[in-house]
Amino acid sequence: MKRITIDPITRLEGHGKITIFLNEDGSVANTYLQIPELRGFEKFCEGRPAEDMPQITQRICGVCPEAHHMAATKALDDLFHVEPTSTAKKLRELLYSSFYVTDHTTHFYILAAPDFVMGPDAPPAERNILGVIAKVGLELGGAVINTRKQNHWVIQTIGGRPIHPCFGLPGGVSKAINEEERAKIEEIAKSSVEFAKLSLKVFDDVVLKNKDYLNLILSDTFTQKTYYMGLVDKNNKVNFYDGKVRVVDPEGKEFIKYAPRDYLEHVAEHVEPWTYLKFPYLKKVGWKGFVEGKNSGVYKATPLSRLNAADGMATPLAQKEYEKMYSTLGGKPAHYTLATHWARLIELLYAAERMVELSKDPEITSTDIRNIPTATPDEGVAIVEAPRGTLTHHYITDERGVIKKCNLIVGTTNNHAPLFMSIKKAAEDLIKPGIEITEGLLNHIEMSWRPYDPCMSCATHALPGQLPLEVTIYDAQGNELKKLSQGIS
Amino acid sequence: MKTLVLGLGNPILSDDGAGIRVAQDVGEKLNDPQITVSETSAAGLSLLDSIVGYDKVIIIDAVQTEKGQAGQIYRMGPEDFSVTKHFTSPHQINLVTALELGKMLDLAMPQKITIFAVEAKDITTFSEKCTPAVEQAIPEMVKMVLEELVG
Repeated sequence: MKRITIDPITRLEGHGKITIFLNEDGSVANTYLQIPELRGFEKFCEGRPAEDMPQITQRICGVCPEAHHMAATKALDDLFHVEPTSTAKKLRELLYSSFYVTDHTTHFYILAAPDFVMGPDAPPAERNILGVIAKVGLELGGAVINTRKQNHWVIQTIGGRPIHPCFGLPGGVSKAINEEERAKIEEIAKSSVEFAKLSLKVFDDVVLKNKDYLNLILSDTFTQKTYYMGLVDKNNKVNFYDGKVRVVDPEGKEFIKYAPRDYLEHVAEHVEPWTYLKFPYLKKVGWKGFVEGKNSGVYKATPLSRLNAADGMATPLAQKEYEKMYSTLGGKPAHYTLATHWARLIELLYAAERMVELSKDPEITSTDIRNIPTATPDEGVAIVEAPRGTLTHHYITDERGVIKKCNLIVGTTNNHAPLFMSIKKAAEDLIKPGIEITEGLLNHIEMSWRPYDPCMSCATHALPGQLPLEVTIYDAQGNELKKLSQGIS
Repeated sequence: MKTLVLGLGNPILSDDGAGIRVAQDVGEKLNDPQITVSETSAAGLSLLDSIVGYDKVIIIDAVQTEKGQAGQIYRMGPEDFSVTKHFTSPHQINLVTALELGKMLDLAMPQKITIFAVEAKDITTFSEKCTPAVEQAIPEMVKMVLEELVG
């Protein structure tokens, strides 16, 4: 049996590893995805005051600290039985929308765009942000940097600190914003809307107008029919900050809709002997293995899943783009994994539009930003949509509010099974007897992973950023036949 | 000369917090308005945002290499990572790409970047403490950074 390993080794260990075993004839026998899990988080939290959780949990991962801060803060509301003031909720959502603008911008231009702007078969040395900017224009590069910079200012202004906010408290937030700050945020929000529109135009020009790319999106290799999960507001529109979790079946029909507190009734976790990371599934459908379809409890929680699980977007421009996407893709739900990049851009536009709405809200500069909790804490659950999927925080404390137990289900964990299935399918479709295994082929397999933007906590800060990919092919006797590598000298 | 000392890492993941620890210790020993001491858990583009506008940047981080001994200290420049210019990180871009991007967009990039890194043993267990070998290396790294600032 031959073995291919796509093994990203970073400066720090602990990244995912894809291993593909080949049969004698060169077809794929089996595929494994291994994501190492960080150890001891629950123990680390036990005995600490619950109020520390918004600060601690956002350190789990350098990729979306704001999402953990928000989920933890909302879990504290629930834990201390206190309803935040209306202004506090709006400030939280305003910061969160701004965070979405930065995160989705980064993902699209750094990760998704190189495949499409440069082409999936372009040499890896060109298939990066530098290549994208050289091709699309310096002006756009400047806009990417500027949008991120301005929105980091918004996060800092509302949240007290860039990257790791410190404003979330049970019952509200720690500081208000003044009129001068509000006006600047409104201006940034409006320019973010323009940037999001520009990004959708780039997607339209580069991807949708290219028949080959559109066919790639619609190809069977990148199609996967599962249940879809996402947070919705009372009108069943996509919401990142608050609402109920809605799950639709592979035909798009509502399967369940539940309040965060009930998550354990609906989601269970399957364990495999070859990986520490669990595979969540829908309890009421059951675990039927790594299979697609209505009878399998596998679900996805990604930008595309959120759009599939909702009835639309709550803002006008994003709603138009939502309609356009589904009409282009031939209806709802869309099962095309690569369309996740498109959904991400529609969410970027929604986040920017929502920022404009909230920044113009008459209550946003109010100083009524906190309700002081008076009840005894016991148990708290909260759910937000992290950019990479539904994020659940659940704490149990003693009567002093000291953590006894904590459980988190993070975005990437939700998508563990579908991510594994996507890679497996791409490997099986692309690696065939007699086909030469090239870097381009390897990149096509990676493209099945990219839409999920899997977050392996330890990817906090990629200095020196060495994430070489290595594919080693062994023959049936275990001899090395060929080695392909990226980023290795 | 406007200088930035930047500790990188995750302060609650054992040895991954070493860079931040060193930066904090360096910060306590300095009182120079020209030198900013900072820490971040961010990467790639955010790293670029952090270093723009400084003349000289010293980055402190933890690394894991194939044959390294825990606690071993490395002094490097960005050129040491030129092989990683490729699109590599799962979420972000790497330092070299970030630097090239900065130049391409005509941002105020530092003239000199030095990187101090310590070989980590454990970066997957949640803890605010480093492992003993890395803990021992911290004072030495602080000394090296302070010397670099003078030089």
